[in-house]
Amino acid sequence: MPGSFYNPAKISSDGKTTPPMPWNDNAGPGPWGSPPPSDGKKDGDRPRSDDPRSGGPRGPGGPPPPVDVNALIERLGQRLRQVFGGPGRSRAVALSAAGVVGLWAVSGFYIVQPKEQAVITTFGAYTRTAGPGLRYHLPYPFEAAELVPVTTFQTLDVGGTASQPIPAERLMLTGDENIVDLSFTVQWHVSDAAKYTFNVREPDTVIKAVAESAMREVIGKTALTPILTNGRGQVQDQTRRLMQQILDRYDIGVFVEGVQIQTATTPAPVLDAYRDVQRATQNAQSAANVAQGEAAQIKQAALGYREQVVREAAGDAARFNQVYEQYKLAPAVTRERLYIETMQRVLANSNKVIIDSKGANAPVILPSDTFRPRTSVPSAAAAEGAVR
Amino acid sequence: MSRLNGQTIAAGVVAVALVILANVTLYQVDQRQQALVVRFGDPVRTVLTPGLHLKTPFETVLKFDRRNIELNANEEEVTAADQERLVVDAFVRYRITDPRQFYRTLGQESVAKDRLESIVNAALREEVGRSNSEDVIAGKRAQVMAAIRARVARQVDASDLGVQIIDVRIKRADLPAPNQQAVFERMQTARKQEAAQLRAIGDQRRREIIATAYEEAENIRGDADAKRAQMFASSFGRDPNFAAFYRSMQAYEASLGKGDTTLVLSPDSAFFRYFEKGPAG
Repeated sequence: MPGSFYNPAKISSDGKTTPPMPWNDNAGPGPWGSPPPSDGKKDGDRPRSDDPRSGGPRGPGGPPPPVDVNALIERLGQRLRQVFGGPGRSRAVALSAAGVVGLWAVSGFYIVQPKEQAVITTFGAYTRTAGPGLRYHLPYPFEAAELVPVTTFQTLDVGGTASQPIPAERLMLTGDENIVDLSFTVQWHVSDAAKYTFNVREPDTVIKAVAESAMREVIGKTALTPILTNGRGQVQDQTRRLMQQILDRYDIGVFVEGVQIQTATTPAPVLDAYRDVQRATQNAQSAANVAQGEAAQIKQAALGYREQVVREAAGDAARFNQVYEQYKLAPAVTRERLYIETMQRVLANSNKVIIDSKGANAPVILPSDTFRPRTSVPSAAAAEGAVR
Repeated sequence: MSRLNGQTIAAGVVAVALVILANVTLYQVDQRQQALVVRFGDPVRTVLTPGLHLKTPFETVLKFDRRNIELNANEEEVTAADQERLVVDAFVRYRITDPRQFYRTLGQESVAKDRLESIVNAALREEVGRSNSEDVIAGKRAQVMAAIRARVARQVDASDLGVQIIDVRIKRADLPAPNQQAVFERMQTARKQEAAQLRAIGDQRRREIIATAYEEAENIRGDADAKRAQMFASSFGRDPNFAAFYRSMQAYEASLGKGDTTLVLSPDSAFFRYFEKGPAG
């Protein structure tokens, strides 16, 4: 090791003897106190709790003294002087200079992650783009590297989120002079790292401004109903294309993947009226359904009536026809018979009072129970049933 | 020993001198910048290529952005040709193309911002003022923006500001708050009318359906009655006399034979023929 502390006099390479100087003199105790017996250990191995002023190692009982910065600096200065002022000085200088240069050279290494690219500038001027892996560039001040995320998809939200909407960004005028409440996201990624870094100031804010401008232009050409229902895909596509056109004109080195409409509704104050229209449609539909049901019932009743009437009539007619056939064979007899049978059944089932009016002069008073309705008395004649 | 010291000191002095010299004559222009070399306040030359450059110690270097820069104009309320008021939020993208001219006329970006903003607002008013509001919002939005851009570019070129206008775009063209409210109300009434109309149509359909059903039902009933009459005619009609007699017999039994009738009869009735007169009748 150069500048060894323990050799008070050194024979240098040109034959001269270096007299002991204060910094290589082993005579007095010095600020470190008397050195311990030489056991080959270096200074730095001594425990730091040694107090230089008290002389000698301390006992185990006392508290450590406060760090004296001045003393430390002095020690450092003395050491440096010993290293660089001593006879091995040129070696020390050379080695430490080499160390500094080495560190400086090593600072040129950098790692580019798989999703990134690095843009290298030489004295500030763009010279090349580097892909993923362990790379090297000339250290400062010659070259510098800037890492740019390239394949990661960036997402941009316009209109805030569902929980924190930004009304100013969401309300847009449509082509038919209505207002729609719309929020959307844009997915994009860097297509050219150098252009993205150098051509435009604050590229991310530019993308947002262009997104808003493009979307509003497209919405301004579209009527409200398609935006709310089945025209979204077209709006998204048109916006994406318009955005890409504008950004390409700015040469910003960005590729717009897609535009996605998150929510598109009528603005809150109008929402109720829109829902009412839906309700009205449903009401009309259900009213029509109910009416159909009623109509079916009405027709059904009529059909039933017809069925019944026709059957009854057919039945009556058939019955009459049968009777008539018999009647034709013996008209007077049949008439007489029918009359008597019918009267028998009717009289059997009624309250009867037979009065010979020829002999009566005074009004006849009938007892009241004459008019009491009968319970039907099953008689042999009534059991015959139909008039034959 | 002294020789070494002398050598070292000399080497150190030379090194320090080199560093100072480098500081004073070398300068770096970043890829994002362009420079204007100024000697005692007078612009001497423009440096547009990035990298390491030389200058004399008496010159200072002013750096300007060479990128596409944004100017966000404040929201302006402008009146369109059809007297409708619009709130327009526009942004401008420009680039400093001539640093010397820029330095002479504007000096720095904050001044440029104010100047450009007033130019843009004037152009906005002019172009929006000669278009209908719906053209600005919808139909001719791109053309209006192109016209504004052309107007601003003309003005900037005429004023020789050392700046190139890349783009002027309308970010938002909305109605002022009270007009917005009016639009909401209009949308609401339009929807209310639509709802009422839908309900009216639904009502009418309902009535139509039921009326048609009644008509059909009456036809069916009429048909039934006709068939019955026809059947009776073809059967009862063969002998109306007997039919009347037969039908009356049925009617008597059905109406009077239910047990709730009290008949006051005379013995002269046909039923009692053999009753009083005996078997000969």
